[in-house]
Amino acid sequence: MLNHFQAMLVFAFCVSLAFAFLTKRRLGERIRYAVWAFLAFMLVAVGIGWLMFPFSH
Amino acid sequence: MAKTEQADTHPSTGRGLLAALCAWIVPGLGHAMLGRWAKAVAYFVAVSVLAISALAMRGEVLPAASTDAFDRLGFVADLGTGAYYFFSGTLERQGADVSKAPGDYGTRIFAAAGVLNFLIIMEAYEIGRRPPRREAAETQTKAA
Repeated sequence: MLNHFQAMLVFAFCVSLAFAFLTKRRLGERIRYAVWAFLAFMLVAVGIGWLMFPFSH
Repeated sequence: MAKTEQADTHPSTGRGLLAALCAWIVPGLGHAMLGRWAKAVAYFVAVSVLAISALAMRGEVLPAASTDAFDRLGFVADLGTGAYYFFSGTLERQGADVSKAPGDYGTRIFAAAGVLNFLIIMEAYEIGRRPPRREAAETQTKAA
């Protein structure tokens, strides 16, 4: 059973991979785009998590 | 001769629809049918990992008979996973459990896998209906 963070990692990896192949044609472009999208997913998710932190108490 | 040339330069809706149908049944199969092996493998891995993870987390797969508007929307999204939707009962032997957080995440992730596959289906249709001559020219440009 995956926890929240692991589920987020799996989601970000799979969606970044599919988007890279959907939008880019060359291998180098695909790798750069997949890495960029993956990091953006993680950064935004962790950022939103911290923004919501004050409301959890 | 002229007829063959005409067939080579005109879009083939039938081929596009067949590719889309294959892409819906098994993610990536439509691209494999069209000889796009790298895309086929990437799409199969992406959608399969998402769908299987979602079912392992005991996410809910929404039935066709949903009454709520959001559930109906969720059913359409889930249907996008093709074979994973139809075999979800076999793959998720313990059944859904949305009383715990992972089950809730699983429900969303399964819907995301379906929506992602809809994008893949549309791309398979678009590549499949391209005239064979244009397709060959594009493949050559890509290889160069």
